[in-house]
Amino acid sequence: EDALLPAPQNISILSTNMRHFLTWSPVTIQGETVRYSVEFQGEYEREYANESWIPICECSLITATMCNITEDISATVAYNLRVRADIGARRSEWGTLKGFFNRITTSLTPPLMKVIADGYHLLVDLEDMGPAFQFYVLYWKKGQESRMQQKMVKDVSSTVHLDTMEAGPDYCVKAQTYVETINRSSTFSQTQCVRAQGGRSMWL
Amino acid sequence: TGVTEIRSGFNAIKANIQARDPIRTLSILSHPHSLHKVKSSDKCCIIHKLFNFYMDKVFKHCQTEDSYVNRKISSIANSFLSIKRKLEQCHKQNKCLCGQESTEKFKQILVNYEGLNITSAAIKSLGELDILLDWMEKSH
Repeated sequence: EDALLPAPQNISILSTNMRHFLTWSPVTIQGETVRYSVEFQGEYEREYANESWIPICECSLITATMCNITEDISATVAYNLRVRADIGARRSEWGTLKGFFNRITTSLTPPLMKVIADGYHLLVDLEDMGPAFQFYVLYWKKGQESRMQQKMVKDVSSTVHLDTMEAGPDYCVKAQTYVETINRSSTFSQTQCVRAQGGRSMWL
Repeated sequence: TGVTEIRSGFNAIKANIQARDPIRTLSILSHPHSLHKVKSSDKCCIIHKLFNFYMDKVFKHCQTEDSYVNRKISSIANSFLSIKRKLEQCHKQNKCLCGQESTEKFKQILVNYEGLNITSAAIKSLGELDILLDWMEKSH
C-alpha cells in the first residue's frame, strides 16, 4: 500500500491587479521529484453542483509551487482552492487554502504613467493593465487644485490628449486605476508636472 | 460588467457547445416567440426566472469530457451566480414583479426544455446563451 505523502502546506494566494496566483511550500522527499496538482471550486459548485472540484490542467502534475489561477477566478464570488502532491503512485491528501478567495480582495496599484508636453498639448501615456482596467486621470494647473479636471480612460493603446496648455504655468497630472467588475480603485499615482514647450507655437 | 464576462466565457466555448446540439430546428428560448416580444415591465422577472433556470436546470447537466469547456462553464455559472445575487435584491424589494406575459413566456420555455432529454435540453439551452445575453444587453 503506497505510503502517503505529506499534503502541501502554507497554501496562500498572491493577488495583484486582478492577477491571481496560488502558492504553497514544497514537499521535500530526498532524491525524489514531487509533482503537484491544483483544483478550484466556485460558489456555484458548492451550492448547485454537489460541491464538485474542477482541475486546472495547466497545473496538473507540475513541479513548480505556484499556479496562475487568473483564468478560472472569473467571477466575483468566493472560491475554494486545493493542491496535492504526487511521486509516481504515491499521492498526498489535499491541502486546502484556509478560507475562501474572492477577487474583490485583489490589491490594486496605481498605473505607470508618463506625462508629455508636446508643444502646447498635455498628453499622457498609461500602462496597459488588461481589459478589466479603466483609469481616472486628474489634471490641473499648478496652484489651482480647486479647478482640477477628470478624464476617464478605457483605451490606453494610444497616447491620451488631456488639454491644451497656456504658456507659462506648470500643469500637473495624477492617475488611478478602476476595476468595474469589483467596483474598486487603486490609490493615485505620483503627481507629474510639465510646462508647455515654448517656441513651438500651434500656428507655425 | 458581469454580462461582459459571461459573454467572453461563452464565446470561448460557443462553437464547441453548439456543435454538440444536433437538433437545429428547435429552440428553447425563442419558440414560439422571441424574448424580444416581452414587455419591458416584465423584463426583470423574466431575467430573474431565466437565471434561476440556468442555475438549476442547465449548467449542472452540461458536464463534458473537455476540461477547458468545463472550466469555462464554471466561469459562466459563477458569474451568473454573482448577478443572480444582485437580482435577488431587486426581487426582495418588489421591483421585479411577474406579469401574466412573463409567466406564460417562462412556462413555454420550460415546456420546450422538457420536450427533450435533460442533457440535450441543457446543452441546447447553454448554446442559446447568446440569445439571452443579446436580449439582456439590448434591454439594459
